[in-house]
Amino acid sequence: MILTILKKDLKLFFADKRGVLLTFLLPILLITLFAFAFGGIGGGSSESKPMELLVSDIDNSIDSKSVIAKLDSLKGVTIIRKGKEEATNLVRKGKYVGVLIFEKGFQDSINAGNDLPMELKYDAAREIEMGMLQGVLMQNLMSSVGQKAVKAKISTYFDANFSGTSESVKDKIFTDMDSDESGMSTMMSDSSGLKMTSIIKEDSKKGNLGLIQAVAGTAIMMLLFSIAGIGGGLLDEKEAGTLKRLLYSPLKPTDILFGKMGAALVLAILQLVVMFIFSWIAFGLPIFKDIPSLVLMIFATGFAVSSFGIFLVAIAKSRQQLQGYSTIIIMLMSAIGGSMIPLFVMPAIMQKIAVVSVNYWGIQGFYDIFWRSLPLTDILPRIGVLLGIGVVMTFVSVRLFKKNVLKLV
Amino acid sequence: MIQVTNLSKSFGDLHAVKNISFKINKGEVFGFLGPNGAGKSTTINMMSTILQSDKGTILVDGINLKENPNKCKGLIGVVPQEISLYDEFTAYDNLLFWGSIYNIPKNELKQRIDKILELIGLSDRKNDLIKNYSGGMKRRINIASALLHNPKILFMDEPTVGVDPQSRNRIFEVVEALNKQGMTIVYTTHYMEEVERLCNRIAIIDNGEIIAQGTQNELQKKSNVNEAVEITFESISGDQVEKLKKELKGEIIQIDNTVAIACDVNKDLSSIISICNNENLTIEDLELKKVNLEAIFLSLTGKQLRD
Repeated sequence: MILTILKKDLKLFFADKRGVLLTFLLPILLITLFAFAFGGIGGGSSESKPMELLVSDIDNSIDSKSVIAKLDSLKGVTIIRKGKEEATNLVRKGKYVGVLIFEKGFQDSINAGNDLPMELKYDAAREIEMGMLQGVLMQNLMSSVGQKAVKAKISTYFDANFSGTSESVKDKIFTDMDSDESGMSTMMSDSSGLKMTSIIKEDSKKGNLGLIQAVAGTAIMMLLFSIAGIGGGLLDEKEAGTLKRLLYSPLKPTDILFGKMGAALVLAILQLVVMFIFSWIAFGLPIFKDIPSLVLMIFATGFAVSSFGIFLVAIAKSRQQLQGYSTIIIMLMSAIGGSMIPLFVMPAIMQKIAVVSVNYWGIQGFYDIFWRSLPLTDILPRIGVLLGIGVVMTFVSVRLFKKNVLKLV
Repeated sequence: MIQVTNLSKSFGDLHAVKNISFKINKGEVFGFLGPNGAGKSTTINMMSTILQSDKGTILVDGINLKENPNKCKGLIGVVPQEISLYDEFTAYDNLLFWGSIYNIPKNELKQRIDKILELIGLSDRKNDLIKNYSGGMKRRINIASALLHNPKILFMDEPTVGVDPQSRNRIFEVVEALNKQGMTIVYTTHYMEEVERLCNRIAIIDNGEIIAQGTQNELQKKSNVNEAVEITFESISGDQVEKLKKELKGEIIQIDNTVAIACDVNKDLSSIISICNNENLTIEDLELKKVNLEAIFLSLTGKQLRD
C-alpha cells in the first residue's frame, strides 16, 4: 500500500515538468550564486574590478598631482576627480566608498615637514571596502610623498634642535635610513598624516549600522516570503472553487488580482511597521527621526514586494510551481540584494548586480534614512525605483493573469 | 430566455461540445441529462461566461453573451458543482461576501440574506462556520450564494451531489419555490429522478451532442419506449400466448412462463387481468413497467446514464 502511494506521488511530481525543473534548478543557482559572491569561481583568470576612489585636489600642486598620478597608475584603484563638496555628497549618498581630499597647503606641508593636510572621508556603511582601500592607500600613497615628508620632518627637527648640523651629516642619516627599510616605512606610516573621517557624523539619533542591516535586510526578505503566501491563497481559491465563483460574478480578472495585491500591500505595510516598531522597542532603532521618509519607504517597499506577490500569482499554476518560483526568486533577490549577506562584504561586481533586486533598493533606502540621515529629496530616487519596480511587475502580472486565469478554473 | 445556436467547444483533440442548439423558455426548469463527461458542465461554463465557445452564439434574455458578458453575468446566478465557500467564514459572512461582489447596498443585502436563509432553512445556523456544516447544509449555502443578486436565470450544476436524502428534498423544495417565483432554472444532473421531479423540459446530452430534447412525453415518443405489464404465470402454453396476442393489440414477448405486454398501463391493466382469468391462467407475479428516463436514455444512447 505504501509503495502504491509512493509511486502515485512520484508520478504526480514528475508530471509537473516546471515544478521538477525548479526543484533541481534552485540549488544549482544558489550554489553558483554563493560561489560567485565569495569569489570561489573566476579567481584564477579574471581580475576583480578596481575600486573607485574620488579625489578632490584643492592644493592642485606638483606634489598633489604626482600623488594622484601614482594612485591612478595602480591596477586596483580607479581615480575619479571631483570637487570637494560634490565628492562628499556622492559618498554621503552611498555612491562611492570615499573621497581623498588634498587640502590647500599640501605641498608646502611636505616641504616644511608639517602634518599633511590630507583627509580620507568615507562611508562607514562600506567598512570592508574602506579597509581594503585604506590598505592600498597606505602602501602606495606614502611611498610617493612619505619619504619626502619624513626627510623634511627630520631636517626641520635637526635645524631646530641641532642647528649647525651639516647637510653631509643629514644625507648620511637619510642614506642609513633608506638602507633600513623597516625603519623608514615605520616612520613613514607614523607620519602618514592621512586623516580618516567617517562621512556620516556621529549622531545620537543615528541607528547602528549592523542593526539597520539586520532589520531592513531581514524585514524585506521575510516580507517576500509572506507575500508569496498570497499566491498560495489564490491557488487555495482555485482548489475550493471560489475562484470560479468569483469569475461568475461581474468582477473582472484584474479586480481579483488587484484585490489580492491590495491585501498583500496592507499585509506588507503592516509587517514592516510591526518590524520597525519591534526594532525600536527592542533595539532602540530611531524610527521617529524622519517619519515622512520612513512612511514613504515603507509604502514603496510594500508596493514593490506586493507586486512581486501578484507576479507569483500570475505565473504559478500549481502549489509546486508556486513553491519553486517563490523560493528561487526570494532566495536570489535576498542573496543578491543584501538581505542574506551585507552588500559591503560582496565583490564589486555583485554590488553592481544587486540593483536588480527589490531588497537592494529597500535596504539602501532604509540605510539612507537611519544611517546616512539623508533628506527626503535624496531618498526619493530610491523610492521612485521601488515604485517603478512595482508598476512594471504589476503590468506584467496583469497581462499574464488575464491570459491564464481561465486556465486556472 | 436563453437561445443557444450551433455551440461548439474543443480542448485540443477533444470535442467536448459539438454544434448544439437549444432554447430555454422563461420560467421553466430545463434539465440537462447526461453521463459524466457528456459536455454538461462545459455547456454550463460557456453559458455562465467563464469559458469561451469556439463557435456559436448564446443569447441571454436577448443579449449576446460574447458581446456583453458583464450584462449577462448580472442576469445569471450559478450554483457550481463544487462547494465554493470559504470554510473559515460563517454562513452569514459567506453570503455577505458573495452578495457584496454584486454591489448590492448593505442594508438591502442583509434583508435578502435573511430571506434566503429562511428559504433554505438555515436561519438558525447562520453564525456557524461553514467548516462545521454537514455536506447537505453546505450545498444549501452554495445555492443561497448564487441567489443574492436576484438572478433571472439560475444555473445549477449537479447541486445534490453527495447530499443526504433530507437535504436533497430540501434542495428540491428550494428549486420548486424559486421556479414558482418565476425564476428560470437550468439544472444539470445525472440523477433521473431529479429531472423527472423538477424539469419541464429536458435535453439529453451525450458525447457533446444533444441526442434529444423536449418534455418527458416528447422524449418517450422519440425513443419508442412503451409502458408494459410483465406477468409471470404458473404455466402458460403456446396456444394461450397466441390467444393473448389476438385479444391484446400490443406487442407481447414471452420468456418461459413470463409474458411482457406493451400497453398503456393505466388504461389496459384491468382488461389484461380479465382476459387472463378467462383463459384460466394463474398469475404468480405481476410487475408494472412504467416508462422512465432511464429507459428513454438507454433507448436513445444505448448506454446506462451512470456509465
